[in-house]
This record gives sequence, structure tokens and C-alpha cells, in this order.
Amino acid sequence: MRNFLPLAWAVAVNSFVESVRHRFFTLFSVFAFTAIYASLLAGVMAVDQEARVLADLGLALMELTALAYVLFQVSSSLLKEAETKTIYLVFSRPVPRGAYLAGKMGGVMLTAAFMLAVMGCMHLALLSFRGFPPPEAYAWALAGSFFKLAVITAFAFFVSLFSTSSVSTLVISGIMWTLGHFVSETRFIAEQAPGVKAALLKGAILLIPNLQLFNARDAAGVTGALSPTAVFSGAAWILAAYFASLWLLARKEF
Amino acid sequence: MTASAVSFSGVEKIFRRPRLLGAICHTAVQDLSFDIPAGEITGLLGLNGAGKTTIMKLLTGLLFPTAGSVRIFGLPPSGQAAKAKVGFLPELPYFPPQIKPGAALAYYGRLSGLSGKELALAAAAALERTGLEPHADKCIAEFSKGMLQRLGLAQALLHKPDLLVLDEPVSGLDPLAIHDIRRLLAGLNAEGRTIFLSSHSISDVEKLCGRVLIMVRGRLAKIVARAEWEAAPGGLESIFVEAVK
Repeated sequence: MRNFLPLAWAVAVNSFVESVRHRFFTLFSVFAFTAIYASLLAGVMAVDQEARVLADLGLALMELTALAYVLFQVSSSLLKEAETKTIYLVFSRPVPRGAYLAGKMGGVMLTAAFMLAVMGCMHLALLSFRGFPPPEAYAWALAGSFFKLAVITAFAFFVSLFSTSSVSTLVISGIMWTLGHFVSETRFIAEQAPGVKAALLKGAILLIPNLQLFNARDAAGVTGALSPTAVFSGAAWILAAYFASLWLLARKEF
Repeated sequence: MTASAVSFSGVEKIFRRPRLLGAICHTAVQDLSFDIPAGEITGLLGLNGAGKTTIMKLLTGLLFPTAGSVRIFGLPPSGQAAKAKVGFLPELPYFPPQIKPGAALAYYGRLSGLSGKELALAAAAALERTGLEPHADKCIAEFSKGMLQRLGLAQALLHKPDLLVLDEPVSGLDPLAIHDIRRLLAGLNAEGRTIFLSSHSISDVEKLCGRVLIMVRGRLAKIVARAEWEAAPGGLESIFVEAVK
């Protein structure tokens, strides 16, 4: 266990470098730039709310672009390593499966952080070009997006270990992402619903990460800081998905 | 008495393919018991589907036996201590094409617990030993099949393992590359390393190995020592053909 962190770090750096070198990364970067630039049009149409629309639309586009790339990476990562037999060269070495998994998750999270940072710079440059200052709580909004991506990355790794194809991992994780943004609505419906229906909905809420907690700029008047509940919830979901994935990976044969 | 590098005792491996109703079971190897003495080169021969790759994977902890036990220098193969003593070359190894061989070796070296100067020296030594030093500045995309196989061997040698497990090390290579790899393996064995290799090429196994295991439909059909095939008319080939018929 002494080598756990250096091994996990080696896997994470390798995974990060591979995903940044991937030809799709360039495509996603071009797409992100085009999308953020195109948000200028929406901003112009918003007339007196241009700054707010530019900020919110840009942040949403950045989050969705990073989400798409992260899910693409996770859904193909383990599958590709098994298909190309690269994983043989890893697991025939003294690499604990937990360190490998932590490294793979870490690599994708590093990629997400890098994407958000690069797109954030592009976005701020665009806002500055239009003569607007950096939006309030911008860094917290990016941190919230990163937390969401980290949670969904960990969940997608778990799914990829039992799903039969990368498409099913993408779809299941995408559904979880969407459901995660409707937890308060689900809770409201559960409170209104009678008997068994309410119990089922309340049970479902426990199995869905509340991604709304990470929307730092949602409520009017908030300072933007992520609440301790959000941080704790994110960490708990990541750890739970990691240990569930590890349980599956430890039993997996190649 | 020679110590065993590898020991299989009553090993069975059954693959279960889940279906909607129940599962389909396929027995890859069964009732498998043998020892590989330390310091020897042992070959593994068999037709396609005889269980050669399954044995290699059981040895490297990539598969777990359904029954029986596998030991490497007395240790379970899935443990970190046993893995530190093993270098594995899978059949047709893959490396990211856009990187250079040194970068690939640095990554695998780190995973073997090497770092800093020790890692740099080990990577340079592995490149030199496998004859890849002149190609160190090329990207892996430019490598021929023979060079990829050499790089596969280089990554297996990085941490100076006591046991080398090689799955089809000369498969698809040209005669010169086969000659070079054979000479490299003989040199490694002369240093005291145990080598366990599978192959479809009887002549290569005959030239390199001291003992050969012949697998037939998942069972160990015969263990043949060098003296035996050297004395037999038709050599190892006739013994193999007789065993698999």
C-alpha cells in the first residue's frame, strides 16, 4: 500500500496525457470555442441582460462540452484498454487495482479540470471583449461544474464495469446526470404522492446524486460559495462510486 | 533439488458466459498439474484453443483459477510480491502510436515501482538489450511488428524479473527478428532467469527450451525433456503430432 499514491499518480498522468492528445479533444475544443462564441448572438438578443445571458449560457455550454468529453473518455477507457490488451501490461505488474482505478478516475477528473480552465479563459476573454467584467461567483460556478463532472465520472466508471458497451455507459450516465438536476422536483412530487408511490420516489432520491447542490449561481442573491453539504455530498458520491467500482474491478478477469 | 519457479496443482479454469436463462460454461483447462524449475526455459505447445493463453493469464493474475492452486516462487500470482518477480509479454502487445519507446517504458517502469535515475537507467538498458536503442527517437507508429515485439520484451525486462512469461514471442516475425529474439532469450536465461513461453513454432521451441509441455484440449498431454526429443526420430515435431492427434 506504500506505493498506492505514486502508482495512482502515474496512471492519472498517463490517462490525462492520453485524453488531451486524443484527436477528439481538438474537436471538442473547436466545438467549445464555436459554441461559446455563438453565445454572443443570444447575448445580443437579450438586449439589457446581455452580460447575464453571456455568462450563464457560456457556463452551461462549458459544462455540457466537458460532460460530453468526460463521458466519452470514461465509457471507452477501460473497454479500450481491455481490447488492446494494454491492461495486461498493467495488471501483470504489482499495481493494486484500487490504485489503477483511482488513477484512471483522477486522470479523467484532471482532464475535466483542464477543459474547464481552458474554456473558462476563452469565456472570460469573450466577456472582456464585449466590455463586461468577470461575472459574480465565476470561480465557484466553475468549481461547482467540476464537482458535478467528478461525481458523474466516478458514477460512469462504475457503470462501465458492468455495462456491455460504451453506448450503454454513455446513456445510463447521461440519464443519471439529467435526473441529478431534478432531485428537488422529485422530492416535491414524493411529498405530494400517496403511499407506495411516495416511498418509491423517496428511495429513488437516495440513489441519485443531487447535482443541483453544485449550481453555485442558481439562487438570486447568493454569494456563490459551494455549501459544505454540497462538498460533503460530492465527496461521498465519488467515494461510494469508487468503492463500488473497485468491488467489481477486483473480481474482473481479463 | 531445483526450486520451482511456477507450480500448478490441480488447476481448472471454467469460463461462464451469462445468458438470459442460465449460463454457458466452457472449460479452458482442467486437472492441470506441473512445475517449472527455476532457471530453465520451458515451452508450451498446443493447437489453437488448447489453453496456452489461459495458462499464461493464470500465471500473471489476469485470470483466477476455478479450482486448484497456482504458485509463483511459492506466492499466489495475484499478489503484489509475486507480480514484482514476473515480466509478461502478451501476444501482439499494444502501445500508444504517438509516443516514443522511452515514454512507454517510463510509464511501465513507474508501474513496476521504478523512479528517478533507476528508471532512466532501466529504460535505457532495456532499449539497448532489445536492440531498440537506434530507434529511440522514432514514434511507435513508425515501428515494424518486430520492433513492437522487441518493445514488448523491453517492457517485460524493465524491473529485472526472475520469471519471464512470454505469449507467442516470435509470432509473425521475420527470420532475422526471430533469430535476434531467440539470442536475447538465451542470454537472459544464461543470467539465471526462468523463461516460460508459448509458441506455435515447434522449431523455435526445440532450439530454445529445455522442457516442453504439450497441451491438448485443455489438458496437459505430455511433458517432454530435451534429451527425449533429441533421441526421438523426427524430434519434437513427431512427439507433438502424436500427442495432439
